[in-house]
Amino acid sequence: MSAWTSTSRGASKSAWPAWLRSPRVLAGLAVVSAIALIALAAPLLAPHDPNEQNLVATFLPPAWANGGEAAFPLGTDSLGRCTLSRLIYGARIAMTVAIVASLGAMLIGAVLAHIAGYFGGATDWLIGRTVDVWMSFPPVILSLILMVGLGTGLRNVILAIVLVDWTRFCRVLRAEVLVVTRRDYVAAARLVGFSHWRTITREILPATLPLLITLVSLEMGIAVIVEAILSFVGMSVEPTIPTWGQMIADARQFIYDSPWNLTFPILAIFVTVLGFNVLGDGLRRTLDVRLTESRA
Amino acid sequence: MTSILPLIARRILVSLVILVIVSALLFCILRLLPVDPAAMSLPPNATLAEIEAKRREMGLDLPLFRQYLIWAGEVLRGDFGASIHFRRGVAGLVGSTLPATVELAALAMLIAGALGIAGGLTLFHVRGTRKEPIADAGSIVLLSLPEFLWGLFFILLFGVALGLLPFTGRLSAGFERPIITGFLLIDTLLIGRPDMFVDAMKHMILPAFALGIAFSPTIMRVLRSSLIDVYQEDYIHQARLRGLSERRILLHHALKNAILPTLSLMGVQFGFLFGGTLLIEVIYSYPGMGNLMVDAVRNADLPIIQAVGLTYCVVVLVINTAVDALYLVLNPKLRVA
Amino acid sequence: MSLLVADKLTVSTTLDGAHVPVLRDLSFSLQGGKVLGLVGESGAGKSMVGRAVAQLLPAGFAVSGGSLAFAGADLVAMAAEARRNLLGRAIAFIPQEPLSALNPVLTIAAQFNEHLARIGVAARERRERMLAAFDAVHLPRGAELLTRYPHQLSGGMCQRVLIAFAFASHPKLVIADEPTTALDVTIQARIVRLIAEMQEREDTAVLFITHDLRLAAQVCDDILVLYAGRAVEYGPARKVFAAPGHPYTRCLQLANPAMHARRGLYALPERMPGLRAYAGIPGCAFAPRCPHGVDACRAAPPPLVEVGAAQGATGHVAACIRAPLTSQIAAPAEPPPEAVAAAAPILAVANLTKRFTSGGLLRRSAFTAVNDVSFTLRANEFVGIVGESGSGKSTLARLIVGLEAPSAGRIAIAGVEASDPAFAAHRRRHVQMVFQDPQSALNPRRRVASIVTQPLEAAGHIGWEERLARAGLLLGEIGLPADAALRFPAQLSGGQRQRVNIARALCALPRILIADEIVSGLDVSVQAQLLNLLAALRRERHFAMLFISHDLSVVRYLCDRVLVMTRGEVVEAGPTEQVFAAPAHEYTRALLAAVPPDDPAEVWEGLRA
Repeated sequence: MSAWTSTSRGASKSAWPAWLRSPRVLAGLAVVSAIALIALAAPLLAPHDPNEQNLVATFLPPAWANGGEAAFPLGTDSLGRCTLSRLIYGARIAMTVAIVASLGAMLIGAVLAHIAGYFGGATDWLIGRTVDVWMSFPPVILSLILMVGLGTGLRNVILAIVLVDWTRFCRVLRAEVLVVTRRDYVAAARLVGFSHWRTITREILPATLPLLITLVSLEMGIAVIVEAILSFVGMSVEPTIPTWGQMIADARQFIYDSPWNLTFPILAIFVTVLGFNVLGDGLRRTLDVRLTESRA
Repeated sequence: MTSILPLIARRILVSLVILVIVSALLFCILRLLPVDPAAMSLPPNATLAEIEAKRREMGLDLPLFRQYLIWAGEVLRGDFGASIHFRRGVAGLVGSTLPATVELAALAMLIAGALGIAGGLTLFHVRGTRKEPIADAGSIVLLSLPEFLWGLFFILLFGVALGLLPFTGRLSAGFERPIITGFLLIDTLLIGRPDMFVDAMKHMILPAFALGIAFSPTIMRVLRSSLIDVYQEDYIHQARLRGLSERRILLHHALKNAILPTLSLMGVQFGFLFGGTLLIEVIYSYPGMGNLMVDAVRNADLPIIQAVGLTYCVVVLVINTAVDALYLVLNPKLRVA
Repeated sequence: MSLLVADKLTVSTTLDGAHVPVLRDLSFSLQGGKVLGLVGESGAGKSMVGRAVAQLLPAGFAVSGGSLAFAGADLVAMAAEARRNLLGRAIAFIPQEPLSALNPVLTIAAQFNEHLARIGVAARERRERMLAAFDAVHLPRGAELLTRYPHQLSGGMCQRVLIAFAFASHPKLVIADEPTTALDVTIQARIVRLIAEMQEREDTAVLFITHDLRLAAQVCDDILVLYAGRAVEYGPARKVFAAPGHPYTRCLQLANPAMHARRGLYALPERMPGLRAYAGIPGCAFAPRCPHGVDACRAAPPPLVEVGAAQGATGHVAACIRAPLTSQIAAPAEPPPEAVAAAAPILAVANLTKRFTSGGLLRRSAFTAVNDVSFTLRANEFVGIVGESGSGKSTLARLIVGLEAPSAGRIAIAGVEASDPAFAAHRRRHVQMVFQDPQSALNPRRRVASIVTQPLEAAGHIGWEERLARAGLLLGEIGLPADAALRFPAQLSGGQRQRVNIARALCALPRILIADEIVSGLDVSVQAQLLNLLAALRRERHFAMLFISHDLSVVRYLCDRVLVMTRGEVVEAGPTEQVFAAPAHEYTRALLAAVPPDDPAEVWEGLRA
């Protein structure tokens, strides 16, 4: 926090800023960081190579069920690959996509939203109409079509998600930017000689930053889901890289043989998305713009 | 009423323009394909000359803009081309699968709306009480489960573990599907077979519920926060000062205002829900556009991808326009006096 | 027969664990058919009285002592259903903000119908009753009005509709909570007249809540003055106004600028204690600001004693142990008129016009906000622009300062024309604006020091130390303590924020200051402080000002010349005294007539015609 500005009410006396003290934020951060750490440490944590096939030990149940083996803590899939290892490596893709794609979508969406909301007029109209057109595609369909057009691979998955989801950022942020731009202090800054760039960065951005942060957190959850959907239909990364969606697709075909293999990736996705949602909800509550501005 | 007709007409016009732009975008994206549709449609041992000839035949050597115009012209005449993979008319394929998807989406939206409004009212009712954190946590948990996870979960629970409901296809084997409108629930009633109706319903319950539950939490939360906002308004306080009962205030004043942003959101949500039918159809082997699309994508079947993609957009645009029109009717502030 | 009786009524809330009384030991008696005025500044607790009657206190507030009885029945002890029964029937309310008091998605007819159904009017009679009610409140074309939605009505029309609602049940008591504050000046007088008319016709008792002492003196039979939750004076309106017993009432009177004389303003120091401080004040809450305050005042709350007791019981009481000294409080001397340089004008506006076009591609409609306005401003001159909402005065200000571009006309600042390439920088150097709404005019994330030195930030890189120093100087000039520099706007009061607003504008040493309604919405005593501040700053810094306001008395006090605007045009211009004494244009006359006279014994033109 600089001596000049603050993104939260200045009256708080505690050393920790309000947002860090919220139980939701802490819980969400804990879950998300845990998964990120697991993803980073995958080679150290995974008991086996995720692609290593073991055709004599297919459809093993988890170690605690009867028939299970300690070597495969969560069992194996149709090709005898260790479920736990695949789960851990799958976290890598999930987290990479989540972080990079949401930051990318945020950058494009936020920049365009601020330009549209601040300058108004024809610029706003153009960006607004572009967003409208873009949003008439259901996101699932559009990302699928983009993957067809771009081809599979991690980079393209991220690109596809960025290209689909920037509109969500743009639309929500633009509404906020419009409200803030109407405030007299923005006009006052211009009157006092601030350039457009300075006005946007010093007066408008600090006001929209809380919303931006909340949206990024929520978007990360969405990105994980979209990636899972794409890999479920086989249009995500190369088949040699394990992903949770792919695990679900495989397990679904053999649902009677091993319902466990379906349950674990479902749980993984659920916990990850829940973590991001709780974090985003906590941030939204503590950084709520209305709370910080309306207290008189 | 007469003053909103020009506004609605404008909205429709705008949607048409959007449709044209969307179709052009679709066209361009698909032309980025790393695969060559001409080569795909010929046997693997075709010579280069044959592939070239096929390309010319398919019009793939023309500049992009002309290709688009040709395709647009064909579409307007109802000719969506022929599927590379199925070797059938695309229009026919789309026509037979569209009603199934629309039926599923409609049922799901109804469920989502009903659950959303009931949940929203409940969340609003418990605010400030001790049950609030539980209800709130519940809604966040619900939010974190995407539709395809719900779909799989239902299969695991009701299909595999409990064995209560079927989870593939639209009708059990042994029933012959009536084809009148394409909407199974209507058709079975039209031919007077209530037993088939029940069977069709049993097949649709799990997928529709999976979709509906997945999209209801957003509606719940928006209704709740709209109600909270509305209750801060002065006219609610004034209504109390005039001696109106809380029940009357909620039903006649608050809800009528809070429903507007909720409706608006439901319109937006429909777009997402309609896209979600794709996954659900794959999971439940439901013969709709979603499965058609996924097959086409796996086979790089361009004409189908184009046509189905366009159809998805048309449906979403139609619903969005309808919701906007409804919003105009319900919100008097938008009518310029 | 006493209709509404309050006996030592106390309403409190819990703040930070402490028990804080919002209203304390309030006692009054309102007879049937009479009008009682409840006068106080914001935060004094007057709105709480209305809410207490309805028993619709905000969450966390409750009646903690005393009693409140309506027609003999205890309002607090009454069952909820019985109380709800009274509302809308025997007790009716007229709200402060008419436009937001009605449901925006229902027609007027639907809402009136609902109300009439509630008070028991048979369905077939309702339409007739509605039209008759609209007639009574002088609303033309009632049938058409019924089909409209609230946002299609003007503020004044909406208030008439709400008055119709209120009197539809022939109530015994009507509570009007600042019913004219949100309305235009000319409408205000008419609405007040309407309420008075309805009151007489229905013989209803009215509790008239307002911050305007002059208005209350005209309209009410009795006045009760509230300060920090206590009644400080209570008695017949004319007596209270003519010879106030409590120093606060007298100071309030003297803080209001006079319309037809130029006397000094009595600016009370500081402001009324906030809610949190109430509990910690053992004695008279006004003592710190009182010119006659002594230690005895602070020891215990002064009891209400008869004023002018020598003549016997007059029903006029004041809570002051030194009441006889009150009449000695006098207004400060009239400020000396400022010398205006006879040199070339510093601002010259010629034929300035602004048209707004709206509508999309299909329909375009034009609206002329400012039409062919011309005037000049000389150095060190204060010119007032008066007009009601929609007159174009704010647009004019924005045109001059550069936030809008004119459709036609010329602006010249210190000789430099708008067409000159260096004009933009030149204007920024010489013209600054003070915005109306202190809430939205200050960035809530910047500290006060950062806000007041914002012009320096734009100029180039300046260190934190130097900024803090400059800020300290500026704050001293505008009368804020040095430690305010590190605070955030949310921690300041409305008056303090407005001072910060002024300081920011003055930081770059402009020669022209444009003030757009900067004292509207502030309490009278805070307003007086700011006006005196502006006068003092003028003496020190010699800048010219364009002062925009709808409040004629403020313009009278501050400005040498005045321009009267309506519907985008200037209809009259001239020296303030002259224009106010002998208005030439009928609109000016209407504006002047709409203000309650300084002396309540005078007949108020606005209440008549």
